[in-house]
Parts: sequence; structure tokens; C-alpha cells
Amino acid sequence: MKLKLFFIVVLLIIGTTQLLFSQTDVEAQLQQLRNEITQLRSQLDSLKNQTTSESFGESDVERLEERLDERIQELEKKIDAGSRASSSTILNPRTTAFINLAARYDNKSVLDYEGVAEISNRPYLRSLELDFRQAVDPYADAVAIIAIEDEAGTGYAVEPEEVYGVIKRLPLLESAPLGLKVKMGQFRAPFGVSNKIHMHDLPWTTRPLIVSKYLGTEHGDFFESGFNPVGVDFDFFLPNFLTDVTKEVNFSIVRGEEFGLPSDISTDKTLGYVGHLNISKDWDNEHLLNLGLSFYGEGNFLSNKGITEADDKSLLGIDFTYKWAPAENRESKSLVLGGEFMQGSQLLTDSVKGITRNNPFGWYGYVQYQTSSWLYLGARYDWLEEPTLEKPVTQSFAAYASYYTSEYFRLRLGYEQRWSDIEQVNALGSLLFEVNFVFGSHPTEPYWVNR
Amino acid sequence: MKSYSLVLICLLIFGSSIGVCQNKLNVLTTLNYLRYVTQQVGGEKVEVSALANPKQDPHYVTPTPRMNQAANGIDLFIESGLGLDSWAKNVIDASGNPKIQPGNPGHLVATINVPVKELPTEVSRAWGDIHPQGNPHVWLDPLNMKIVAENIAERLSKLDGTNSAYYQQQLESFKHRIDVALFGDELLNTIGKKAGDILSRKAKNGDLQSWLKSKKLDTKLNGWFKKAERLNGTKVMSYHKTYVYFSERFGLNIVGELEEKPGIPPPPKHRDAVVEQIKRDNIKVILNDNFYSTEAADYIASKTQAKVFLTYIDVGAAPEVDTYEKLINYLLDKLLTTN
Repeated sequence: MKLKLFFIVVLLIIGTTQLLFSQTDVEAQLQQLRNEITQLRSQLDSLKNQTTSESFGESDVERLEERLDERIQELEKKIDAGSRASSSTILNPRTTAFINLAARYDNKSVLDYEGVAEISNRPYLRSLELDFRQAVDPYADAVAIIAIEDEAGTGYAVEPEEVYGVIKRLPLLESAPLGLKVKMGQFRAPFGVSNKIHMHDLPWTTRPLIVSKYLGTEHGDFFESGFNPVGVDFDFFLPNFLTDVTKEVNFSIVRGEEFGLPSDISTDKTLGYVGHLNISKDWDNEHLLNLGLSFYGEGNFLSNKGITEADDKSLLGIDFTYKWAPAENRESKSLVLGGEFMQGSQLLTDSVKGITRNNPFGWYGYVQYQTSSWLYLGARYDWLEEPTLEKPVTQSFAAYASYYTSEYFRLRLGYEQRWSDIEQVNALGSLLFEVNFVFGSHPTEPYWVNR
Repeated sequence: MKSYSLVLICLLIFGSSIGVCQNKLNVLTTLNYLRYVTQQVGGEKVEVSALANPKQDPHYVTPTPRMNQAANGIDLFIESGLGLDSWAKNVIDASGNPKIQPGNPGHLVATINVPVKELPTEVSRAWGDIHPQGNPHVWLDPLNMKIVAENIAERLSKLDGTNSAYYQQQLESFKHRIDVALFGDELLNTIGKKAGDILSRKAKNGDLQSWLKSKKLDTKLNGWFKKAERLNGTKVMSYHKTYVYFSERFGLNIVGELEEKPGIPPPPKHRDAVVEQIKRDNIKVILNDNFYSTEAADYIASKTQAKVFLTYIDVGAAPEVDTYEKLINYLLDKLLTTN
């Protein structure tokens, strides 16, 4: 753990030093060019004083003047190009850091999902994410997002949140058929919408219950959770010749062991398959509608057994998102509506019936309205059948106010009320406070809706 | 079953190769001013469209799946650069189109070689949403627009060498139109050969007027420069640092911005400071880009004698600015109503 931190610090120091040296070189060259321009300008001024001819561009003096003018403008172009190249991203990865702090105040004791640590009534540095991304060569990009995460108050762990390469041009092919992009490494699986979003980018302080319960549970919905396996993802468009609706498909082959939905049947299967079809339409970049269909399944097609009904585990999902932001006055008004529905299929052991197939179901829906440049108001409702045979139901309603000074700094205050068949969770009321800092070289790009 | 698969494969291949079958170069631009100039230079040899809604703030465009797919089959992607349309990177990444990746001929930053203003000496987010590469609103200076057109013509020629002469001819024609609009026909005809280049250089160096006087040509000046003579030195307040290039070219005096720091909406204390400044300097106009809220400008106008002008800055944002020439005319005419 300490060794990992040491390596990260050393890497950051080396990167920064290289950057300083390269910038100094460029600055010196730019200064030389500026000096040359100053000299040329003074020569030009003295020539102008000598120009008396009434013809245009004919006399020797005027021709000289013209040449000097052109030379000055050439040098100015070089300065311009040099200044652009001296951007802080020169040959170094674009680096961004995200600090996510959250605190909770509860009306009763709350334990993490494993029932080990009490997490109620205290503040947390939930995560520090370091995001490095850059082109590797003309054919590939690489992304490494390293997270230093709070393990539900029991200590910190350094973990790869996402580490992958994207191949943009396949070997032997000049173009990628159907816009195929191949992603290899560890990544947040393209199941639905919310699972793909990092915790600090979520429009809420907690993850939706279905994501943390069905897709991947580390320490519950208050800490980072979801399904981010190692694997390969194929992302492509379906041909668009029938309508002006965009249809994009993700198909991933991943390591399935970390999938959240539990199963009592131990199998030798190690592969999981994730599919997502996103159907999308937007109108003048003001209204955007996304409808998605997701599937997760497990099986080892290469084994003699293949997939049999007795040991498969799967999850189906439907998601929708509607976003509105007017073309004019866009920075101060927007609306988002969305939701996801998931139904799982798992095999659990019942003391009477033996091995039984269980189909837990859950969903959430949310709305977020932006009232000004600074303020977003939102609410989310969750309904979840726990993935156990008894399928106890937990419901949650949360309301949030998010205050942004810019897309780099956000404060969020929320209240969440839960009702559940599980006594420990029932009648839980939580006041949630969150602070998010984003700093680094990333441009002014919207991470989620308008922020 | 096999025949169904065959039909499906044929449809997929057909769908993905629609763009390839066309003779025209398929071009996609981020902003509409780039679409316009590409169309002027590319003429009938290009098929060009833009991603952003021209009414939108070009800094904040949300990439959508439609945009990603639109960029998939194209030959050339043109962005403005200088950090203005940095969202283009998301579209390029998601397009799955190797041809338009940065570093390839199918990717062009159109403002290369344009002399950039306001390069920051200190790059820090403490200064707001600053642009580390300088102020990006270069196209509001028509002289810069000619450089942008040259860049586009050069790239079209590189991608489609057989029509190189055509693109060059179209470029010269476009530049001549801009020169006529800037200086007027009579002056260009009097000077003759290379008139546009000579006058543009003089204008860039800030000695157009004195040079014309020395040559006794000042009475022949017409076009936007003549129109703008009445604006010379007019003090103006703007919401954002949008008009830096426009004001330098046409002699406006931008005395400040409503935003205390770029990209950060004006806080109440700064609004009051602007009110004081407007009263003190007798400023009559606040330029408020159409995509920014007029709340702050309206408040300031209510406390002073200044008028709020809602302005468009991209081609096609309204019917009256559906060409670049109309856009510059529109801005000049709007400002002239104050004098």
C-alpha cells in the first residue's frame, strides 16, 4: 500500500519536472522570435518614413517594406504555433484529480453492506481519483484512472478504477467498420447508464440501489460501487439508413466473478457478457432522448458444458434518459428525467425446495431541474427487491440541491428517507453533504449534464 | 437462415459505405461559421454540415450520439480550436473514424496561423474559464476569416488533389468578396494588383488610414472600414470577452466585461462596480451574446443610461445573419444605431 503510494508520488514528480524543462525551451525560442519582430518593426518604421512614391508596391522601398511585413507576419504565426504547442499537455498525459468528500448524519446506526463497519454520523474522504489520458500513437489512446478510496471507514485502498486502451484503427484496415472502437483493460461496464458514471460525476450522493445491489457491491451505495471488470469491449454504430435515430451497441466480454448478483451455485465459469443497445435522438442539441436495453450473462462457451439452464446468472436492464437544455441561456436552465429498470436471474438454495431460481426486480427514477447558473434541484426514488429468496423490499426517496460555482467545484446537500422490510434499514433518515473538487488540465467540458 | 444473414451483412456494408460512394468530400465542422466558409471554399465539391446549433454558446455544446455517428463516415473534421470547441475531442474519440483523429489529414484546427490575442501569462483556474491558448473568438475579425479560409482550402486540396485548382479559385473568390466588403470596390480597383493583400497588411499593422492618406486614397475607402469610422473609439461594455478581435479591427473600445472572470456569471458586487463604471465613462451599449442570460445586463441597464444589445456571433443564428458577410454587417449596423 505504502509502496504503491510512493510509486505514484515518484511518477508525478518525474512528470512535472519533464514538463518544466520542455516549457522553458519553448519559452526561450518564443522570446527569440519576439526580439526579431521588434528589430524588424523598427526597420519597417524607418522605411515607411522614406516612402513617398504614389505608386503601390512598385518602388524598391515599398517592395522591401512588403517583404519585411510578410516576414513579421510569418514570425507571428510561428509564435502563435509555439504558444499553442507549449500547452501544459505537451507529450504528457492530460491529468485531472477529483476529490470527493461526503458526510452523513443519520437518525439510527448504519452499517456497511457487509455489516462490519458503522458508517453513520461522520465525514469521509470518499475518494481521490487521478485521471491520466493521452494518445499513445495515431492508432490508440490510453486512459488510467487510479482511485484512492475509502473502504467504508476501515482504511484506504489504491485501486485501478478504470485502466484501458482504446484501439481506434484495426490492424490491416484503413477504416473501422461501423465506427468500431475496441477497448481493452478494466472499465466500468456499459450496463445501463448509472454504472458507467464515476461517483464524483453522479447527480446524487449515493448510487442507485439496483446498481450497488445487482451490479456490484463493494461497500454499499454510499461508497463507490458498481461493476468495473477486466475485459474487452466492442463499441459500434448500427447503420443509420432507415431513420435519423442513432443506434449504438456495446458488447463486452469480461471477467464475471465480481458481478454483484449473488448465486449459491458455484460454477467453473469465469466469463461474463455485457450487451447494451442505446437508441438515441436529439433535436437541435436542445432535446435528447436515450432509450437503452442491457443484458448481462455468464458462461464459458469453450467449455464442454457450455451454458446450461442450471447454472446461468443474468440481468436484464432498461434505461431511459431525457435531457433538455435550451440553445440560448443554456448555462442557467436544464432538465433531466431518467430511470433504470433491472430484473435479475439467480440460483439460490432453499432449505425446502433446494436450488431455486430467483428473479429480483428493482428500479429507480429521477428528475433534476436547473434553476440558475449555480443551482440544481433533484429527486430520486428507488424501489428494490433484495437479491435473496425472501426478496424483502427497500424503498428510498431522496431530494438534493447541488450548488456549482463552476464545473470544477460543487457542494451538494441532500436528504434521504428509506423504508424497508429489513429492520436495520427501515425508517432510516439521512442528511447527506458532499463536496467535489476537480482540478487539472482537462478542458471546460461538461462531465454530465451541463456541468 | 443463411439468406437472412446474407441480406443483413449486405445491408450493414451498404449502410457503412454510403459516404464512401459519394464523389464529394464529406466535411463536418463544429461551428457554423466554419461550415459557411468551408462551403464557400469547397463549393460543389464538398458536402458540409455543422454540429453545434448556431444559437448555442460554442463553449458548451453537449456531444450526443447523433454527433458521434455523424463524424463516423466523414473525410474531414474541422474545429475552431483555441479551447473554444474542446468538446470536439469527445466527438472525435467516439466517432470510431481513424481518418479524423488529430495528426491525420482528416483533422483540421482551422485557426492555425491566426495571430491570437490575450495569451495568458498565468494559467490558473483561479482566473475563471480562461483559454490557455488565447482568446478564441477570432472569426469576428474578417482578416482572420481569410486565414481560416486559406487553411481550409489547403486541407481540401491535400485531401482531394484533383480539385486543387478549383479550391484555390474558390478561395480567391471568397477572399475577394471579403476584401470588397472590407475596403470597397473602388479602392481595390484603384490599387490594382495585390490590393487585398496590401490593404489587409496595412490594416493588420494598424496603419491603413495613415497609409491611405499618404497615398491620397482615403476618400476611396468604403465597405466595413468606412462604416466603422463612425464607431472609432466608441466605448462599449460586453458580457464576455467575445469582441476582442472585432473591436480591434473596427476601432471599438471595449472597456470591460460583465463577467468578472471568464465563464463565471457576474456576481452582484461586480454588477454594481460595472454600474459605476458605465456612469463614469458614459457608456451607451452593453453587448450581450444571445446565448447568455440578460439578467445582469438588464439590471445594469436599469441603473444606467446604457442599452442592452442582444447579439449573434455565429453564422445562421438568425435569418438576418445567415452568411458571414451579413453577420459582420449586422454587428456594425447594430452598433451604429447608438451613434
